Parts: sequence; C-alpha cells; structure tokens
Amino acid sequence: MKLAEESYLTDDFLRQLINVGEVDILVGLPTHNNAKTIGSIVHTIQSGILRGFPRERAVIINADGGSRDGTPELVTGVSIDDVRPASNLYALRTLHSISTKYANSPASGVAFRTILAAAELLRAKACVVMSPESANIEPEWLSQLLRPIYRDGFDLVTPTYRRHKFEGLLITNLLYPMTRALYGLRIREAYSLEFGFSGRLGSQFLGQNVWNDGTDGAGVELRFTLAAITGRYRICQSFLGEKEHIERRAADLVPALRQIVGALFSALEPDFPVWSAVAGSQPAPTTGADQEVLLAPVRVNRKRLREMFSTGVAELESVFQSILSPSTLAELQRIARLGEEEFHYPAELWVRTVYEFAASYQKSVISRDHIIQALAPLFRGRVFTFLMENRNASADDVENNIEGLCLEFERLKPYLLQLWKSRE
Amino acid sequence: MQGGTEIGPGGNGLPLNRDVLWYKDAIIYQVHVRTFHDSNGDGIGDFRGLEEKLDYLQELGISAIWLMPFFPSPLRDDGYDIADYNAVHSSYGTLEDFRKLLGSAHDRGIRVIIETVLNHTSDQHPWFQESRSSQDNPRRDWYVWSDTDTRYKGARIIFLDTETSNWAWDPISKSFYWHRFFSHQPDLNYDNPAVREQMWNVMKFWLEMGVDAFRLDAVPYLVEREGTNCENLPETHDVLKELRRKLDEKFPGRMLLAEANQWPADLRPYFGDGDEFHMAFHFPLMPRMFMGLKLEDRKPITEILQQTPEIPSSCQWSLFLRNHDELTLEMVTDMERDYMYDAYAESKTMRLNLGIRRRLAPLLDNDRRRIELMNGMLMSLPGTPIVYYGDEIGMGDNINLGDRNGVRTPMQWNGGWNGGFSTADPERLYAPLIQDPVYGYPAVNVLSQRGSEHSLLCWMQRIITVRRSTGVFGRGSIEFLYPANHRILAYVRRLGNEAVLVVNNLSSTAQAVELDLRRYKGNILIEMFGKNMFPRVGDLPYLLTMGPYQFYWFRLRRI
Repeated sequence: MKLAEESYLTDDFLRQLINVGEVDILVGLPTHNNAKTIGSIVHTIQSGILRGFPRERAVIINADGGSRDGTPELVTGVSIDDVRPASNLYALRTLHSISTKYANSPASGVAFRTILAAAELLRAKACVVMSPESANIEPEWLSQLLRPIYRDGFDLVTPTYRRHKFEGLLITNLLYPMTRALYGLRIREAYSLEFGFSGRLGSQFLGQNVWNDGTDGAGVELRFTLAAITGRYRICQSFLGEKEHIERRAADLVPALRQIVGALFSALEPDFPVWSAVAGSQPAPTTGADQEVLLAPVRVNRKRLREMFSTGVAELESVFQSILSPSTLAELQRIARLGEEEFHYPAELWVRTVYEFAASYQKSVISRDHIIQALAPLFRGRVFTFLMENRNASADDVENNIEGLCLEFERLKPYLLQLWKSRE
Repeated sequence: MQGGTEIGPGGNGLPLNRDVLWYKDAIIYQVHVRTFHDSNGDGIGDFRGLEEKLDYLQELGISAIWLMPFFPSPLRDDGYDIADYNAVHSSYGTLEDFRKLLGSAHDRGIRVIIETVLNHTSDQHPWFQESRSSQDNPRRDWYVWSDTDTRYKGARIIFLDTETSNWAWDPISKSFYWHRFFSHQPDLNYDNPAVREQMWNVMKFWLEMGVDAFRLDAVPYLVEREGTNCENLPETHDVLKELRRKLDEKFPGRMLLAEANQWPADLRPYFGDGDEFHMAFHFPLMPRMFMGLKLEDRKPITEILQQTPEIPSSCQWSLFLRNHDELTLEMVTDMERDYMYDAYAESKTMRLNLGIRRRLAPLLDNDRRRIELMNGMLMSLPGTPIVYYGDEIGMGDNINLGDRNGVRTPMQWNGGWNGGFSTADPERLYAPLIQDPVYGYPAVNVLSQRGSEHSLLCWMQRIITVRRSTGVFGRGSIEFLYPANHRILAYVRRLGNEAVLVVNNLSSTAQAVELDLRRYKGNILIEMFGKNMFPRVGDLPYLLTMGPYQFYWFRLRRI
C-alpha cells in the first residue's frame, strides 16, 4: 500500500470542502458542457432542498469534466435568492454550491468517485446524484430519492420512471432481466443517472477496487448498485415521474453497451459467489407509484435495425465463433436470412446469446471491447423483435412481455452457471 | 437636584462618566428588586438588599442597572400593572430607600435605569377607577372606551394564550375598554393632552430624583387609529418625540430606552433623527443568535444585521441574550419559530405565547463553551449589552412555575439558607429557589464561583473588563468578513485608528478558517484576553484554527 499517493482531489477542492464542513445532505452533480440546462437544474435542486430538507446542512457538489462553456461557474453562481421569491421558500442555513474540475477527460466514473470522496470527507448522511441531462427534473425528485435514506434507513434508492414503451430498451431487454435473474432483486433501473445513497454505502464503495481498471470508471454507477446488493444493503425504488426522452444516435449504442453491459459483465467475476447462490428473484421495496409505460406512437427505423443485425451476423462470423456456441451461432445465422415479415429473435435465443457473451467476456480470448462491440448488431436484432411484438401492445402487454423475458433469464440461469463452470 | 446637572462623584466611589453618550459604552445589568436580595427577612427582595449587593455588581464590572417596575401594583403582571407611578411598592421598601440606593449606585459609578409603562396602567390605578366610575368623570377620557368591541379590528392580540380580544367589558360603566395586553391593564388614551402631560410629570418626578434613564415598556401601542394595526403609528411617534424634547430640555444626558418588539425597519423610526429614543432593543437579533448557534451557521445572524438599518450617531442598539420575558419568537418566520421550538423547547411547558420561557444556561444545556461564546457575541456585536441577573453565574429556571416566573426566581448568593437570598422561612419566599441538582443554589451560587478563578462568574468579570478596555465595541463600526467557512462568524469593529477582529466558531467541532485580512496587511494580531501576539497579516489568507465554540478577539496593531 502506498502511503503517499497522488490525490484525485485538488487542493482547492479540499479547501472548499473544509469550508463546507459536515453535512446531512449532499447532492452530486457531474457535468460536462451543460451550460444550456445547468442553471435551471441547480435552481430545481435548491428548491428541492429547501422544500424537503430546510433544516438540514446541505451542499451541492459539482464534479466537472473540463467544460469549456462555463458550466462550473454557472453552478456556483446560482443564488438561492433567485429561488426564494418565486417559490416562497426560505433557507435557515447557508446552502453551499462548490465545484471542482477533475484532470482527465469527462468520465462519469471519475466524477462519481469525486462525489463519493466528498461525501465521505463531509460525513454526508444522505447523498443523491442528479443528472445534468434530466431537463424535466422536479424539486420533488430530491425528496423522493433522499427521504428513504435520511428518514427510513435505506442505503440505496434507485429511480423508476414513467417511460415510453420503446425508451430504455437496453434496460428492459438486457440490464433489468439479467441483473434480476443473477442477483435476485427486481431493480428496474440498476443503472441510472439519478439515484440516492447513504454515506455508509458510499464510503464502502469508495474503498472497493473498482477505480483503477483503466476504464475511468465507466458504468461504475451500475457497479455501485450491484455492490449494494451483494453487500446486503437496504435498497428501495422510488418513482420520480416522467423521464424525458433523450435523442440518441445509432452510434451511441456501442458506448452505452460498454458502459452498461461492460460494467455488468465485469462485475460477474468478483460477484460470482453471490449470484451463483441466488435462485429466483424478489421485488425491491418501492415508494410512490410503480414504474409506468407511455404508449404514444413514435417513429422507429425498424428496417435499418434488421439490416444492421443481418450485416453484423455476416461480417462478424469469425468473432462470433469465439464467443457463441455453434448452435446459437447457427440459429442467429438462420434468422439473419429471414425477411422482415418472418424475422423473429426469440427470447430464449436472446438470453442464450447474452449469457454466452457474458461467459466469453471472462475468458479474455479476444478483447473485451471487441466482445461488447460484437453484441451491438445482435442487440439491434433483438430490439427489432421487441418493437414488432409490442407495436400495438397495451401498457400491461408490454409489461407482461418484459416479465416474460425476465423469467426466461431466470429459467436459463443454470445455463450461464454451466458455461461458467466449463470455462473454469 | 436640579435636572440637567450631571450627577457628580459621591463617597469613595467612581465618578460617573459625564459623557452624554454614556449609554453607548455601558454594560447594563437587568434585575428585579424583588429577586435580588431580601434585607428584612420578609421573603421579598428590596431596595436595601439591592444596595447591599452593589459591591458585587461593581466587582462584576457592569456600569448600569436596569430595575424592573417597582411601583405599587396588584402584581398581576409582575409589576407591569402599575397602580401608582409616584411611589414604590411597600414590599420593596420606601421612596427614601430608593433614593439611598440611587446615591449608592452613583457612588460606585453605576447608573440606574428604571422602567415604567406608558401604554397602560393597572385597572386598580385611581385614574382608571375614576374613569370607569361614570361617563362624566373628568378622567373618563384618560382611557379608550367604546360602546362596541368592534373597533380597531386590525390590531393583533399579543397575549394569545390568555386573551381573546383587545376589548374588555367593564360592568361598572357598562362599556368596553381597550387593552393591548392583559384585560386588567387598560390602555391610556394618548389622544388626550392631559394624559401626555401627566405621564411627563411622572417621568420628571423620577428624573429629578436622579435616575439616569427610563426603559419605556410597550411603546408601539400608545395611539390607536381605525384601519391600522394600531402599532408604530405616526401619532405614537409624536407623543414620544414630545417626551424626548422635554427630557433634553430639562435633563440632558439622561436616556430613553425603547421596548418595541418589532422588525429592525419598523424599529428605526423610534430613533427618529436622534430626537426620539436613545436606545432600542434589537429583538430580532437575539433569537437568531440562538438559531445560528444551533444551526452552526452564521447566516441567521449576518442576515438580520444586514437588514438592520443605520441609526443616528447618537443612538444605540441594546442587545441581550435573555431577560425577564420569554425568549420571544415574534420576530422570526414561522419556519424559524418551529425550528427554535424543536431546538430549544422540546417540552410544551417551556413555551409561552410566541416564545420560550427559559434562562440562558438551560437553553444552552449548561454548556460552558456555548455560554461563553454567546456572551462573547453579546459583548462584541454593535450595541450595548444587557446581562440578565443570575446569568453571570449560570442560574437555571423552573418551568413548573406559571407564566414567566420560572426565570424570575431568587438570586443564588451562596449554598446556605435560602441561597443567601433571604433569612425568611422558605415558605415565605416570593418564589421558590431553584433546587435541582444541576442548577440549584447549593451548586450554582455567587460565593462558590467567587472562590474559583475558572468559574463562569470570574470569566464574566474578565470579559466585561476586556470589553470596557476599548470604546470600539460600544461605538465602533462593523465590517463583516465572509470566510467561506459559514460556521465562522467574523467581523472587524473599528473606531478611529483602533480595530478589533472578532472571530466566532459557531460549530461544536474544531474548524479551520481562512480570513481575507489583506486590508489590514502589516498589522499584528494581539489576542485581547491573554494579550499574546499572533502572526502578522500578510498577502495570503490568514489561517486560524478554532476549537469548538471558541472565539477570539484580536486587537489589530500596526507596529
């Protein structure tokens, strides 16, 4: 152990933390070039603190990844006095907003680590991370994420949202069903940009060896949730309301897979003793409404999804041979040849595909990044089927289909265990 | 003695300061005659008893005593229900006893502030008895009468716990009379010139005897007007200005202190252009000092002082931590009041009206560090500090006594019979002594603390001595420093070439603070209690580390 190590907290940030001192409530706000929205988000956060926690010692910590648009200055420049007249709110205490820029390029893991370190140094009792991209954030979100921790003794609060049925497809088709099947707890948004946590969970995670794997902590928020499950911390879900649609390009998929699926697959090795012993799943306690599904029609280029699937299966055959079992690969190649009307990527085949990728990820025969990239076309194929299956589905039907997929992940979990053992 | 002549030196004591702004440098000790010392063994404190204890007060270092009402009274409101303005209550002695007390106090360099109530009398006062006796009585118009109880609807009810209306029915004259306080305290009618003249005569009576100042109770309510809240009306200010003009004419150097529980902006007119009150209590600051301490945040204190308007140079704020009333929470927001109740009065029995009926030490959990810090702020913020009797030794309270009597128990002089307050049988005392194990007189008393160099009493003597060593605290300007550490309340008091830096740690934990003292670059800091030097101020932020609830007073010296 090195006693003298270069700190990832700057002296200036430490000085700011000293001035803040112990707090009850800490709001972490990771940013990078969010000048357009950050002002109103900080206002909303301040309102949320004044409404929900007027007596508590509170601080907003901005961890900025090198913005060039003045985002940090906007965070620290937002005055509580701007909030008060409109909302008739009054602050008993000083409400601090401090900001720090970390050295590397923007990385949510570095930002989160900075926030966790601040939470530990300030002995924060309840913390929340808010996303600078959530344009429809409401002041109540603060209470909904913090109150279960501050008042009810929970350690982690993950959000649930009102989403369109075709929003968050990576979550509904992979992350949720797989984490649920493996870890045994039905957490709808195990990876989220808004979540609350206790100081003790934050400190415990800060000390874990997840920070120096060369990924700049990509997807570390998911590792955080998984750490809370494996550490048997008290977890609940809280309904926040509508999650506004964020426009994404096709090229965004691979980074998202790296961040979410990469983080999930990375956790499986260290967490094996826990997930291998879990059978079935339990619902997580939920405050407020259950998550909700919106049905408004949206335009999706399904044709392109199927084309990208078929092209990928053809072009990446040699890669797939290293990852997938012959039978799974043959089945994928078969459906890749089907026309649009006949195309169907069944749940069982999708689960087998994912589990084989997960097992292969641990073997490191080929680069992990290549494995993740190779999953992208297959995921698009699965999405095509999900869209087709649910294009006319009601909210209940969509939920039933997701539940069916979850049960398939649970049913086939022994297959993953078998792959894991054969790997050894 | 002719009014207008300064009271000179007497006996072997100290001469009184002849400066007409003496009240700016004063440290006032508030005491009720009844509570302090009983010289004749009847169980009630008296003037002679108080006179016997003047040496103690001189030793403490205070420079003025404020005596609560001592006039003849049915005592249904602890003397604030006056039945005769030109006499003293027989329980406290005679007028001659008072004269003697006055002379002895002056001999020791201690001024005497007495208190009177302009707004109302007792219903037992002969004026009211005459007024109610018939509609034609010449004094009928000395009070505010009405055939209905619907006038002045805009006026709030102050004693919410006991009163349901500001009007009370008088069965004798078959009409309603106006009262802003208890129903047995009818308001005088200041629209009547005879009333105004009579009240000046009352003041003149005592001023001619030699009293140095009046604390005038409940001044915002003197005049009523339909369609208003009947508080702070211009007509009320006219009455007060007239009294001040007469005072200056006949008795220069005497002082008027206003009791007006109002927001700073509403209080400001009571100073006029230096032609109304000399001093006024800063009511909103006091609860915010307690709030800042509990929150460990300077915000409530700096915020209220930022909202405090400038006052004429001859005027002064009067600051206090506790007094004979409840810790009033009228001048705070609802949210702040709820917080204060939860923080300082968990038990409902500790609450009264809109306040908390507790003494300083119990409010602060008898924590010596917090008691010292609060006194440190009291003595260093702009204004004249008032120390409530018994708080200098950390006396407790008795919340089982009704109304505000729990903070008006006998002074604890020693651990002996009745705590040295009286030789009477304990059953005859006007109120029982505090006897609990923590605050009871065997544990908390003057005698035992005099014998200990580190007692609260000796510490109070020291801080008063230090405060009086410079005029900067009484007369200087204030400039707040806003270090990033919000647990630190720091300010510089300046008067001429003299400057004192005050740094208070409101936190229960040790704190580091960086102060921007570049303005004072080159100065050496000299800690005023130990007189030790601290490093010279340079270009860099001045770093101080402070223990829990610690405070520093530094003299800034350019050497």
